[in-house]
Amino acid sequence: MPKVTIDGNVIEYEGREKLLQLCLDDGVELPHFCYHPSMSVPANCRQCLVEVGMPVKNRETGALEVDENGDPVIRFFPKLQTGCSMDVSDGMVVKTHRTSDLVKRAQKDNLEFLLVNHPLDCPICDQAGHCPLQIQAYKYGPEGSRFEFRKVKKPKRVKLGPRVMLDAERCINCTRCVRFTDEISKSHQLTIIARGVKNYPMTPPGMEFDDPYSMNTTDICPVGALTPANTRFQARQWEMAPTPSITTTNAKGANCFYWTRDNLIMKITPRQNLQVNEYWLPDEDRLVLDQFNNNRPEGPQVRADGGLQASTWDAATAAAADLLDAVDGSEILFVGSAYATVEDNYLLTKLASALGAATPVYLSHVETGHGDDWLRTDDRTPNTQGCERLGLTRTDAATLQAQLEEGAIKLVYVLEDDLVASGLAAGALDGVSVILHHYNTTNATLPAADVALPAAMVVETVGTFVSEDGHAQRVRPAKAIKGINRTLMMETGKSRTDMHGTPFDRWHNESHQVDCQPSWETLPAIAALLGHPMSYKGPKQIMAEVAANHDAFAGATYDAMGLEGVRLEEIGEAV
Amino acid sequence: MEATNPTSKAGDWRNYKRVLLPPVKDLHQLEVYEDNGGYKALRDVLSGDKWDPQSVTAEVKKSNLRGRGGACFPTGLKWTFMPPVDPDVPRFLCCNGDESEPGTFKDRQLMEYNPHLLFEGILIANYAMTIKTCYLYVRGEYAQWIEQMEAELEKLYKKGYVGENIMGTGFSTDIVIHKGAGAYICGEETSLMESLEGKRAYPRIKPPFPAQKGIWGYPTTINNVETLACVPLIINNGADWYSGIGAEKHPGPVLYGISGHVNKPGVYEYPSGMLITDLIYEVAGGMRGGKKLKAVVPGGSSVPIMKADMIDGVTMDVDTIREAGSMMGTAGMLVMDEDTDMVSFLRRITHFYHHESCGQCTPCREGTGWLENLVTRIDRGEGNLRDLDLLIDLCDQMEGRTVCALADAAAWPVRWTVTRFREEFEAKCKPAVFPTGDGATEAAVPAT
Ligand SMILES: Cc1cc2nc3c(=O)[nH]c(=O)nc-3n(C[C@H](O)[C@H](O)[C@H](O)COP(=O)(O)O)c2cc1C
Ligand code: SF4
Ligand code: SF4
Ligand code: FES
Repeated sequence: MPKVTIDGNVIEYEGREKLLQLCLDDGVELPHFCYHPSMSVPANCRQCLVEVGMPVKNRETGALEVDENGDPVIRFFPKLQTGCSMDVSDGMVVKTHRTSDLVKRAQKDNLEFLLVNHPLDCPICDQAGHCPLQIQAYKYGPEGSRFEFRKVKKPKRVKLGPRVMLDAERCINCTRCVRFTDEISKSHQLTIIARGVKNYPMTPPGMEFDDPYSMNTTDICPVGALTPANTRFQARQWEMAPTPSITTTNAKGANCFYWTRDNLIMKITPRQNLQVNEYWLPDEDRLVLDQFNNNRPEGPQVRADGGLQASTWDAATAAAADLLDAVDGSEILFVGSAYATVEDNYLLTKLASALGAATPVYLSHVETGHGDDWLRTDDRTPNTQGCERLGLTRTDAATLQAQLEEGAIKLVYVLEDDLVASGLAAGALDGVSVILHHYNTTNATLPAADVALPAAMVVETVGTFVSEDGHAQRVRPAKAIKGINRTLMMETGKSRTDMHGTPFDRWHNESHQVDCQPSWETLPAIAALLGHPMSYKGPKQIMAEVAANHDAFAGATYDAMGLEGVRLEEIGEAV
Repeated sequence: MEATNPTSKAGDWRNYKRVLLPPVKDLHQLEVYEDNGGYKALRDVLSGDKWDPQSVTAEVKKSNLRGRGGACFPTGLKWTFMPPVDPDVPRFLCCNGDESEPGTFKDRQLMEYNPHLLFEGILIANYAMTIKTCYLYVRGEYAQWIEQMEAELEKLYKKGYVGENIMGTGFSTDIVIHKGAGAYICGEETSLMESLEGKRAYPRIKPPFPAQKGIWGYPTTINNVETLACVPLIINNGADWYSGIGAEKHPGPVLYGISGHVNKPGVYEYPSGMLITDLIYEVAGGMRGGKKLKAVVPGGSSVPIMKADMIDGVTMDVDTIREAGSMMGTAGMLVMDEDTDMVSFLRRITHFYHHESCGQCTPCREGTGWLENLVTRIDRGEGNLRDLDLLIDLCDQMEGRTVCALADAAAWPVRWTVTRFREEFEAKCKPAVFPTGDGATEAAVPAT
């Protein structure tokens, strides 16, 4: 295999690769700004300069020349080279700042230049704490600055578009944002304007930066020049804890981090998964913070005296069991949900079959024309594929309405969906008992409910979703809910296992805890009261059972899914 | 200054007959140009058995023609970098007429007075490299001559000298004139290509070089206006004739653009290898007002400045001038007399590069402005002695670390003006203040 020597260490590599990427892949840190693995290489920040040498070949024979010790003679390029643009080749010898004073000096010089006109407003900058410029300036930069002049003034607080704000003074002109719109989202909405030290990115005259993927530029901007309009100045980076999960705005299953502070979701950012969303996230996936934080129910409710009254979980579960017990299985309509996890839907089908009811249906939430050929889909739910593979029957509001009008249905059990908001006439539920697992108090079916059981949302539960492409991925709780649940506690992001549950973990906080319950906890509680015990240690075991019972889920265990998920078709064949 | 200094390499330059800009009235018109033997070289090359693309290239190579765009790169060699012809892959010639470097104004003369020599050179170059399209990128401020050239080009198309089946020989090629929008950086070859493609003129990283990936990613050769204008002369008179003109290693006629404190500033055509002293005192009529010479920038604003005592016996050819501590550049010579304030001169130069840096690379974007800030401060009498070291430091931090050579071009004038005229800079700085033993301070006289 071809080899390169970096600071005296020999590294083997395959195929053509850029030197910087090779270093990064191999854990050799090299400071850099403009390089991004999925975009073209402009080599404009000049931060990744290294010394590069090549073995000298004899012109006639083509043989390597050797010195008196038999080592190949290396001839170094007279100038420092940018690692990001340098193609590695066999025998190359590289010196980074670890072994070259020249490189060390160049890195320092470059950082001095980068900070010359930078406003240095880290104390109020959202990027502080995770800012490549800040981190690398501390690590490789000079101690002070010799610049004694007025800094260049550029526009601040510019609304580039509805979702992205620009502070041009912070911009280091790496062109990542421009390249993103040119090469990745292809909206071509950004360009660098002005010249020299006045450079900054801008939209063409009369155009707004309303690219449905515009907010990705705020992730890849190496400084705080581009920030999301919805979350800027809301939380410092170090106040939040990230939880690796997926978004549920559509059927793509894009990987994300939910950033939590005090049990509120403060922002949503993409998480790298080259099989699913690479480095990106559509704007729509990030704008759903509100549903997690606001209008959340305060515990279960049971209908009494003509209205929904606050209740306890025990009493509400018992009330639900009583309603189910009072009717024949054939008179119950179980409605599953493409918003809910595979585990929750699976337990619902189990309950339905235990009670002799028909297989649950689920409402499809497809909005034709909404999707694109990238990370947005027509399907506005995360788990249609999960429902299909469990054998739930797809339905729509009109069919449901007709079914209810026939009069045979006495009880509707709704798992994590909203029938009325989906188009069912509110009156259609008159005279029918309704048990509802709901996320928000704005659920339009809630007024018709007899028992309302608040359900944990994706940021509060453990479970599995199957994307449009058959990619099964599990989610983890990003914030704590009221009530103690061992599984949730074990799965919640924590700093270290032995410190679990101490105040040093960001999620461990009494504020903003929602009084809700994962449906995989609620459903077994009801089933037990009806004489159909379902005893699971937690969703992991439920999923293992799903994988064992359904061919469509063969092999999809939690261990197999890990952090990046599995393609069900692929893992199924392997099993 | 009677006899020519014996170290001149320009031979009997006093009796030199101009070939790039011959003294013919209305030569810019096709009819006049043809009456004076124009397009003979093209006709010879395209018809008859004497020439094929290889032999044309070989002749140019043999002539030792070096690029007149500033880097003095051997033109014939550059042409051979083009990959073998593949009928499915377009290839381009780019003629660089962006001419924006301060002190350089010689391509303008060619485009104004002898555009057909350029067209003929382009057509022959296209033939030599089997190219179907040449883009002639002209500095936008030359609007008047662009119009004139467009009209002449129109005539050429009508006459069948450009376009399909030229002169009935089956060879077809086009010339497209493109107007720049007024940025110095567009003269840098890869930046020029970006600009041609309709993009922002950010220079590209090399490699890949233009011959591998040029305009729209296709093989491209780029040459300066004056360079291409030499080509018909070489074909008509032979490589040996050409290489016999002027300095042996850097032969040919050169358009010297002389500006500054001389009596007759202007563009002068003479053989290469002219003594700088001859150019100043003979050709340009000597120093204005009989003043003493102080400094010369021999090849456009970016090359290292020479003190008056450095130019004795130095000739204008790439090697000699390098040995003397400067560069040939574009042969655009800035001449300064004893009254010139070097700090103020440098201030103007740093302003230019600050204004023209494209802003892509960190060291150039930030460094050019910082340099101007420092030099301005010194020029105002507010600078500190340590600023002079900082200036040199910043040059170290910029040179050789950027995508294109503009950063070097910006740093060199600073490095060499400050180094070679340091005492003038020191004199303009605030006096350094050193503590004396008893706790007071005293102003130190800067060491010279
Ligand atoms: C900043 C910069 C500006 C330049 N401007 C010009 C120019 O205006 N005209 C020109 O012919 N060459 C210019 N050059 C040189 C070109 O990049 C290129 O070397 C030249 O056109 C090649 O032609 P030649 O081989 O015929 O000399 C410039 C180079 C740099 C780095
Ligand atoms: S705004 Fe950010 S991403 Fe865009 S060029 Fe500036 S620093 Fe780079
Ligand atoms: S060196 Fe200066 S002009 Fe050249 S590409 Fe870099 S920033 Fe632009
Ligand atoms: S990462 Fe910016 S130049 Fe290499």
